[in-house]
Amino acid sequence: MISLRKGRTSIQGSSLTRWIFVAPAMLVVICLLIYPLLSTALYSFTNKTMIRKSFSFVGFENYIRILTDPDFWTSFGHSLVWTIFSVIGQVIIGFIGALCLNRIKSPAARSIFRIAAIIPWAFPSIATAMTWKWLFNGIYGFVPEMLQKFGLTDGLIQFFSDPSLVLPALIFINIWFGAPLILVNVYAALQTIPQDQYEAAQIDGASSLQSFRHITLPHIRTVVGLLVVLRTVWVFNNFDLIYMITGGGPAGASSTMPIYIYDTGWTGRLVGRASAASILLLLFLVILCVLYFKVISKWEKEDVK
Amino acid sequence: MKRLSLMALVLILSLTAVFAGGQKEPSAADGELSGEITFWHSFTQGKRMEAIQDAANEFMAMHPGVKINIETMAWGDFNTKWNAGLTTGDLPDMSTAQNTGEVAEMLNVEVLRPADGVIDAIGRERFAENALADMTQDGNVYGIPYYSHAQVMWYREDLLANAGLDVPQTWDEFRDAAIALTKDGIYGAAVSFSPNDLLGTRYLNYYVRSAGESLLNDDLTANLTSDAAIEGIKFWVDIYKNCSPAETINYTVNDHATLYYQGITAFDFNSGFMIDGVRANRPDILDTVSCAPLPKINESDPYYSAEATQIPIVIWENSKHPEICEAFIEYLFQEDNYVDFLSAVPVGMLPAISGISDLEAYKSNPTVQQFAEEEKIIAEAVAAGRAIGFEHGPSAQAGLLANQGVIEEMFQDIIMNNTPVEEAAAAAEAELNEIFETMVM
Repeated sequence: MISLRKGRTSIQGSSLTRWIFVAPAMLVVICLLIYPLLSTALYSFTNKTMIRKSFSFVGFENYIRILTDPDFWTSFGHSLVWTIFSVIGQVIIGFIGALCLNRIKSPAARSIFRIAAIIPWAFPSIATAMTWKWLFNGIYGFVPEMLQKFGLTDGLIQFFSDPSLVLPALIFINIWFGAPLILVNVYAALQTIPQDQYEAAQIDGASSLQSFRHITLPHIRTVVGLLVVLRTVWVFNNFDLIYMITGGGPAGASSTMPIYIYDTGWTGRLVGRASAASILLLLFLVILCVLYFKVISKWEKEDVK
Repeated sequence: MKRLSLMALVLILSLTAVFAGGQKEPSAADGELSGEITFWHSFTQGKRMEAIQDAANEFMAMHPGVKINIETMAWGDFNTKWNAGLTTGDLPDMSTAQNTGEVAEMLNVEVLRPADGVIDAIGRERFAENALADMTQDGNVYGIPYYSHAQVMWYREDLLANAGLDVPQTWDEFRDAAIALTKDGIYGAAVSFSPNDLLGTRYLNYYVRSAGESLLNDDLTANLTSDAAIEGIKFWVDIYKNCSPAETINYTVNDHATLYYQGITAFDFNSGFMIDGVRANRPDILDTVSCAPLPKINESDPYYSAEATQIPIVIWENSKHPEICEAFIEYLFQEDNYVDFLSAVPVGMLPAISGISDLEAYKSNPTVQQFAEEEKIIAEAVAAGRAIGFEHGPSAQAGLLANQGVIEEMFQDIIMNNTPVEEAAAAAEAELNEIFETMVM
């Protein structure tokens, strides 16, 4: 009887200890994830504004207003273009850069190039935004002036005030900014590929392309896949770069979903409506991530086989 | 026994005094101030920031029990910051406000404390009557005008002289001159419409006010579709297309003003802050900059001032130490401190109280002496003008009119998407009215 009680006390004690260890992590998750998520979901069904203390439930009215707002669909379309082209550009440039870096034999030169390549990523986004804003400035910017001097353009090209150029210009800047992350990670993955596999392939008469396709790619595709997932979410949610360079303008030509949500919630102060847009954005990204992870887990299973 | 009773009584009284003292707010117990306050301001430029910090340091040295935490933020971020603070509770004890329009917005959400005590201490009669009236609600004044400025037309004397042009008196003359000066890397005038700033509203307001109208109707609904408003929209679109750099369509106030500072634009509309900006960027052209009253529609039209700005200091309702805020504000207005602050941007910041501009310390400033004529023109515009939309008295609608970016989006829509002016104006007017209905309590 006594031993049983002791055992139960011991079990209860160890259970408590487990909770004590887990509690800080749970607290962080509740404070930083569960609470903001639930409060956003709750506000999305209300007419809450930033300056009124009281609010009431309005059902799906915010969602209806958002989904029937042409600006929402324009911003959503811009977000897709911005994300797809930015991620593809970053992966291609980063991938090529990593392959080039991997071919450098001298450790010292490799180290120098690796540091040089990561510099754009090390810049604070405010510095990146201001630098490119100056370089692409349509009045005295270096790039428009050079293009004009070389006779490539008739006048000063207007990267940030021409609606057809503003989004491509921003995507270019984002590729410049994000490619180093891909480069460094892919380069790290390339380092893990056993060299004897390449040597064996060479002995068997495999071409460089065949070695790349059958050795390099299978080894690094999981890393690239994960990077694509991460970059997709980050780029889709990116706010600072666009906001600091164009603010979503002119006339909404570079407005993406985060800018749309910011304008609705902060400038317009319509917290309820901005929350509804945030929930829609979240749902879209969750669905996208589920699809991505399905592909990655398929690759992983193939690798195990 | 008597002795014991006496000792017990003394002990009880002592304890009562101790506990009573413990429950009381630690301030002004015997006239000495004590406590901690937070002061938000948007004077981010070096000299102004230093002047405020120096005054705070001196005030804290005079009152060892006082701590003043100063937080500075960019002018454009200020509105967002306090709006967010309404939800998070992160609000200051005292702050500046961008203008009287913002004070009206703050009053709309009932976050301010009356400032009549400190105004009386400084001298109510020293403030301009209309400046106080713009921040008055139910007989109480909620903001203390700290400095003033007004919108005037800035031009380059050398460029006008070289082109054989006179200073424009009317909008038509201004357009002709601006077009004539747009050559050889110089632009006649920049017109900027970033929705993150108020320049589109400001420019349209100039034109509408010159026609004797307002951007708000008598019932405080938006007016963007009157004949004068439509003409004004067309006028600025025309100026943008004919003499402004295309890039400025998305410029905010700072980017916009920098073009004039750098000698890229021949005309601009702004306050006396232009002088300091030109001095910092192009001291070689400082002697050639000057200002004139805003153009009129017809030369014979009466004088008008479209926009005068009072930069107020406000005390927040949530402050636990309003007495420290009041004492510190009074200290900021002491002659030495006040002249020090104003001299950070001479002619840019004009005194909000009488008796300062006559002081030798104020008048002896070289910039004040050099730009005495310009100061006179700006001071006249301050005296005759009010904040955008305040023609019908202070209202939250006036504040919202300028800070929602709706008018700027309308201009961008007309220019970028070729939307007909009347259609875009009607849509923007409807959007503003919906915002007023949602936001104004």
